[in-house]
Amino acid sequence: MTQRILALSRYFFRSLLISLTGIIYILVGLAYWLVMFPPDQRTPDASYYILVLAAFGAAMTFLCTLSIASKANQVGHAPWIVRLPSRVEYLTAVLLSSILFATILQLVLAILALFRGPDLSLDQVLLIPPIWLALNTLTAVLALHASDFVAAGWSRVFLFGLIAIFLFGQSLNNKSSLNTWIILRLNDLSRSLVGAGMVTLVTPLNNLAGWLQQDGASALSSFFSLPFWPFRAIADAVVVGSFNTSQALAPAILLLYATLLIMLAADVFANKDLDLTE
Amino acid sequence: MIEISKVTKKYYTLTALDNVSLQIPAGEVFGLLGPNGAGKTTLFKLIAGIINPTAGKIKPAGDVWPAIGYKPERLLFPNHLRVNEYLRQVARLSGLPGPQINRAVNESLERVNLQSAANKKIRECSKGMRQRLAMAQILIGDPPLLLLDEPSNGLDPTGQAEIHACIQSLHQSGKTIVMSTHHLPEVTQVCTQLVILNRGQIHYENSMAQAMAAQSHIRIRANKPLEEFGQSLAALHDGVDVAGDIVYLKGEAMEMRRQVLVMLLEAGFDVLRVEHNRISLAEIYAEAVQ
Repeated sequence: MTQRILALSRYFFRSLLISLTGIIYILVGLAYWLVMFPPDQRTPDASYYILVLAAFGAAMTFLCTLSIASKANQVGHAPWIVRLPSRVEYLTAVLLSSILFATILQLVLAILALFRGPDLSLDQVLLIPPIWLALNTLTAVLALHASDFVAAGWSRVFLFGLIAIFLFGQSLNNKSSLNTWIILRLNDLSRSLVGAGMVTLVTPLNNLAGWLQQDGASALSSFFSLPFWPFRAIADAVVVGSFNTSQALAPAILLLYATLLIMLAADVFANKDLDLTE
Repeated sequence: MIEISKVTKKYYTLTALDNVSLQIPAGEVFGLLGPNGAGKTTLFKLIAGIINPTAGKIKPAGDVWPAIGYKPERLLFPNHLRVNEYLRQVARLSGLPGPQINRAVNESLERVNLQSAANKKIRECSKGMRQRLAMAQILIGDPPLLLLDEPSNGLDPTGQAEIHACIQSLHQSGKTIVMSTHHLPEVTQVCTQLVILNRGQIHYENSMAQAMAAQSHIRIRANKPLEEFGQSLAALHDGVDVAGDIVYLKGEAMEMRRQVLVMLLEAGFDVLRVEHNRISLAEIYAEAVQ
């Protein structure tokens, strides 16, 4: 299994490296370095260095995964897929090569950015691997779900719709326009139900609207923002310069998200009809 | 080796395969015939596991799926690779250990007569070379089940003969081969089993030997219309048909040829001609897809 995954990973890595897309990604990386870490001025802030390169790594991993997934989804690879005892090996190779390509590019930029950049202490250096690797892995898996390669039916609509609901849900509070809009719709629905004679449902709806008007919105907001805690914890830890006890769990939780999403991607990919492109 | 039971495959509203059941025994060369859109490629993809059936099951005779060598209809390859690089990759994916990889690649190239193009980029290969490369890749790792979607399409007669020889030698070495083609002489030459698909359904299924034998008949022509005597001949056996001055003997009734000839002569008819007609595969095909 290892031989097959490594052979495919090497192939995908090389395919991206020698393609126009790969060259463009390298040029984009260099442009990013020139803009964010201009070599003619000092950029001594360590937290800026860690977070800006983390953002670059995440974005690049997303793009590389989309590109490699698109290459992997070509009909020319059908005889290879048929040879494999499990399709998940193929998926693993796509994931591995994407993360590797983006991480190498990120490390090259990280080395370049040290030129007239921050003097990192050992503690700060030790902060970097868990943050960058966790973020890169998570974005790679999200990109897999966004690609035609893995998505089946409405799978990506459900996944990214759920993420969007949680993102919007964070902004709920007593005075937010979203909250007001939801309360108005609940009131409209109550009036319609009264008109339709379904009075038993009206009281729970009115209670819900009342709850949202008082402290319900902030409770919901807390609920929706809970999954995004690791991102805030990482940013806080980087600014302070070290993880505290609870913040240290943040990269592990991101990896847990990634693991769950990988399991979901493997299940979808293993059971879907492959729609290989020409 | 593979059992396909009541398999239906639908693409949205289009039914590509409709309740197809088929046994693919080990060691046979299965020829799949049918017009374009009959469902041949869909059946290949289902057996290869690229797509899943909407209903029904495809399962191996044992519990474990055999290794499969698959040659798709379209000759699309990663064009930036060289021929031998591509085959080495197939060898790695087949789980061959390092030292055996080059040997397996060289053997497969030799078998399809492609050694001269080993270092050529795939994008520079002609259609014939690509067809040979597609055949070479299925040989690597010695998979027991081979799926060949139009294996000799685009080859010149010499190339076709080489591919046929290759398929025949694979059959002799015990491989199970499922192949589709539009080239009927190819089926007669290399296949041991025949399946004709049309509009997603199996319209004909037989062994090649029986297909050719079952459809042959003897035609006896008398000097004048047989009229009432014809009815007494037709009553002899279900396989005896009379039309005007001709008597047809089909299937088991062909064994009654002497008896029929004697009866005709004794009844005062002259026999002008006796023919043993073998029906061609083209006729079987035309009848099945009508």
